[in-house]
Amino acid sequence: MKTSGDAIAKAFFLSCAGISAVMTSAVFLFMIVLGLPLFRKGSFMDIWMGTWSPAEGVFGIGHMIAGTFWIAIPAVVLSLPLSLGTSFVIAGLGGPRLRETLISLVRFMTGIPTVIYGFLGIFLLVPLIREELGGPGMCVLAASMVLAVLITPTMVLFFSHSLMAVDPAHVQAARALGAGRIQRLLYVMLPEALGGMATGLVLALGRALGDTLIALMLAGNALGMPAGFLDPARTLTGHIALVQAADYDSLEFRSIFACGIALYLFTTASVIAVRFIERGKKEAA
Amino acid sequence: MEQQEKIILRNVNFWYGRNRILDKISMKIAGQTITAVMGPSGQGKTTFLGLFNRLWDDIPGAKADGHMEILLDNRPVTPIRKDIPTPMLRRKVGMIFQEPNPLPMSIAKNMAFPLKLAGIQDKSYREAKIKKALEQAFLWDEVKHRLHTSALDLSGGQKQRLCLARALVLEPEILLCDEPTSSLDAHAANVIEELLVQLKTRCTILMVSHNPDQVQRIADNVFELQNGRMNPSDIPSKHLPG
Repeated sequence: MKTSGDAIAKAFFLSCAGISAVMTSAVFLFMIVLGLPLFRKGSFMDIWMGTWSPAEGVFGIGHMIAGTFWIAIPAVVLSLPLSLGTSFVIAGLGGPRLRETLISLVRFMTGIPTVIYGFLGIFLLVPLIREELGGPGMCVLAASMVLAVLITPTMVLFFSHSLMAVDPAHVQAARALGAGRIQRLLYVMLPEALGGMATGLVLALGRALGDTLIALMLAGNALGMPAGFLDPARTLTGHIALVQAADYDSLEFRSIFACGIALYLFTTASVIAVRFIERGKKEAA
Repeated sequence: MEQQEKIILRNVNFWYGRNRILDKISMKIAGQTITAVMGPSGQGKTTFLGLFNRLWDDIPGAKADGHMEILLDNRPVTPIRKDIPTPMLRRKVGMIFQEPNPLPMSIAKNMAFPLKLAGIQDKSYREAKIKKALEQAFLWDEVKHRLHTSALDLSGGQKQRLCLARALVLEPEILLCDEPTSSLDAHAANVIEELLVQLKTRCTILMVSHNPDQVQRIADNVFELQNGRMNPSDIPSKHLPG
């Protein structure tokens, strides 16, 4: 039998959920409304695909979108083998002591402020790239490499958690059939953990796309399309940080809301991808 | 080693850290027999089975000592001393568990898995071995038209027979059965019992069971494990008058 207390609690929790949903939608609407002056001026597609030429009244963020992916995708590609190797050691190849040490280390890494990674990049990586590979040093490569380190703990935790969640009876069956540690990992644990690992990969990509500080400190922030890894680039988040620090009401300023909308859509796409993966995983089970 | 004996244990101990689980186990088991081990829960029966395929290898703090010989390919090996590589040992000493544990893949892939681990690539040879093992497990007729469907869709009894067939595909000389019928209904359990009786012409079977009737029906030797010690059981084996 429902009591009045139950009804009050239900109403309270429902309103909390409603407020969260409204706030999430309101943020999106807020960005559209505040960006309207820019959207009304010129071609709508120029904003998303065009170049950044404020002198000509063109405020395209196409290069920032490209810059964001130029940095985020290589970061994920660089981080993937590192994360796979570490999670393999945690989930099956290492002994209990090594596993505990690695998990503690990875959790500690998640707590290191991003700015510390940025400092390390500026003082160690940027000079090294400048001297050994040429170019300005502050470039796509520097930002991608440091971003890879930043997202590795996220991937490792998701990967190792998924691998360790594999049904122990299946691992036991493989052991009894003569499978060694690597065979158990590759033939039994990895196929079963792929759904969870894909979720980790997508979330890590989301984190790489949305990170501000590393790109701002290391990517050079140049307003052009990068042609290679040694070229500087500006990301959407970097652009927001730079413009809002210098301006507050021009059309140039309004471009940050277009950047916000793009980031919002990328994040939404990541979340939808994760949902699809999880649904596929449930259906497969 | 005496040729008629497949397994000889003399003063074998097993430890988890400082806890002695098996205490000076001594026994001889002839080839092509079914030996049942009974006893209360938590006495180390599964641990005892694990001695033969070194299933305790990866468990921190686990160790065994004493004299243990098993005859594989007519050659005495001593698993405790690790004088045979673990994967090779486990191909010769198959095991099925209390809960059927098919892998989440198709029936065909489950059957091919041990062959893949053993490095057997020849497709037609693999198919022949798989068919033979499924026939031995009385499963071929039931699954021959759906070999590529998920093994998880089989019934409990079929899953256990699949696990048995998967263990048999490498033609083990010793088969370890850890309460193989305890999670099955009476009919499925009878099928497994019948299968084990037929299989003992090809391999030596060591079985843990809590079911005295089952043991009486199929076992040639019965032992009781209690407080780490192994003794001949009061329960008569099928060769002795009840």
